[in-house]
Amino acid sequence: MKLLNTYRPLLICALFGLGLIGCKTRQSEEEPKKMAIVVSTLNNPWFVFLAEQAQAKAKELGYESKVFDSQNNTSQETDHFENAIASGYDAILFNPTDADGSIVNVKNATAVGVPVFCMDREVNANGAATSQILSDSYSGCVAIGKYFVETLNKKGKYVEILGMVGDNNTWNRSKGFHSVVDQYADLKMVAQQSADFDRNKAMEVLESILQAQPDIDAVFCGNDAMAMGAYQALVAAGKADHVKVFGFDGAEDVVKSIQDGKIVATGMQFPIVMAQTAATFADQYFKGERKFPKKMPVAVELVKRDNIKNYAAYGKED
Amino acid sequence: MKKTLRYLLFLLVIAFVAYNSVYFKKLDEVKAGTDLFNGRKFAANFWSQKLTPALATAPDAALLFDLLKTDPEQAFSKYGKSMSIGNIKYFLVNGRGIVQSVEENQVIVDVNTKAGSKRVLLATEYIFGNAVRDASGQIDINDFGNSSDLNAISAELNQIIRDKVLPSFLAKVKKGDEITFSGALELNQKYPDLAKIEIIPIRLSIDDSSETKPE
Repeated sequence: MKLLNTYRPLLICALFGLGLIGCKTRQSEEEPKKMAIVVSTLNNPWFVFLAEQAQAKAKELGYESKVFDSQNNTSQETDHFENAIASGYDAILFNPTDADGSIVNVKNATAVGVPVFCMDREVNANGAATSQILSDSYSGCVAIGKYFVETLNKKGKYVEILGMVGDNNTWNRSKGFHSVVDQYADLKMVAQQSADFDRNKAMEVLESILQAQPDIDAVFCGNDAMAMGAYQALVAAGKADHVKVFGFDGAEDVVKSIQDGKIVATGMQFPIVMAQTAATFADQYFKGERKFPKKMPVAVELVKRDNIKNYAAYGKED
Repeated sequence: MKKTLRYLLFLLVIAFVAYNSVYFKKLDEVKAGTDLFNGRKFAANFWSQKLTPALATAPDAALLFDLLKTDPEQAFSKYGKSMSIGNIKYFLVNGRGIVQSVEENQVIVDVNTKAGSKRVLLATEYIFGNAVRDASGQIDINDFGNSSDLNAISAELNQIIRDKVLPSFLAKVKKGDEITFSGALELNQKYPDLAKIEIIPIRLSIDDSSETKPE
């Protein structure tokens, strides 16, 4: 009895503590799951649309979500991951800033049991992310390359404007395009330069290239923003009528420009499909599914004047 | 003397262990070593062991074209294949037809269907894309962690067609020939353009002449 009296306060504390833990556990079981949507940049409308679609799908599935903007900065992205994990987000729908630089963030999240579903951009580590849902940029640019060769009738001089050199999409697009175009010896690439997927930079880059190469026949750009910048440079140089511009993305202004005959073609990506698939995979993960394709390609469709009526910007349903 | 011999032996053992424990390699070689996938070899095996056997169960082109008109949903669900999510689907077909013209980039062929004569293009110049890789549905995406391996398979399969299927066919084919063909075609499920069906050939033969297929 004396012993019980001595240890009574300790026993009460222990029971109280256990009760608290029980409450906390029950609370976490009952708490709705949350998805963090970490996006490389919200300065580009294409990524804004991707984030909005992921958020809409998460909501539709009954989950709370929050969008984090990495501003194309991997250290900011790391902060977002740390915050998301600390704040109890249960899954991360992720659009990486850098294929190599973002690996560590993905690994840190999955190491603590937070699944990561990459959207549109990949990380260069097989198996690091739970699943990567990506546009099949290579194949999309094979289709663009084929149309490019047909349109130029297998000969001419052209310029290639690349995206960010640290992004896999840049090279997948470039390699897909060249896998076709390089088979035609009379198609000569007179300049290849990066403009970081940026419209203004692309305009400046092409203006400068046109000083040295004034008689080009076409420009292939790694995204639509750069295609619009290239077109502006051609307008300023008085060459927009005969230099053919090709883009990639399916952005709003390029869809309109194809209708108007200013841009020849683009590769339509489907951010809706990627965002919805990522959110659906996260939902399935919460429900116990653990088998996901490591990479899930999303088909890219060639959009040109004769089929533009079928398409709206970003692959939206009409 | 005995002690010296023991030290010598000991040193030899240490040298042997040390030599076999440390390797120096160029970083380029190590990087290349991680990418050991041989697309050409895979494509050659896939061609002979999976793709050409799958042609035996591919639908007749005339039947497929009729079904695409009457019941596109069933045509896509029964015969359409793809490794990607989205609207692009690929089909394997076998068919017969009459050559209407031999052009720079394609051979135009008329195929008899229930609904009448259907004109198709047999691609002879632009042999690109994933149609041949995906149409049989025999490749599982989960077997590949690296998308560049899958791209390499498409490129190598297309190269087999350029090198081994087309040359002998193109050397002989002319307007009016009756031909038998097997091939792969791509269609957009949401907006199928049935007026312009292009087939990437896998097997071609003219009349009774020997089949132009890879050895």
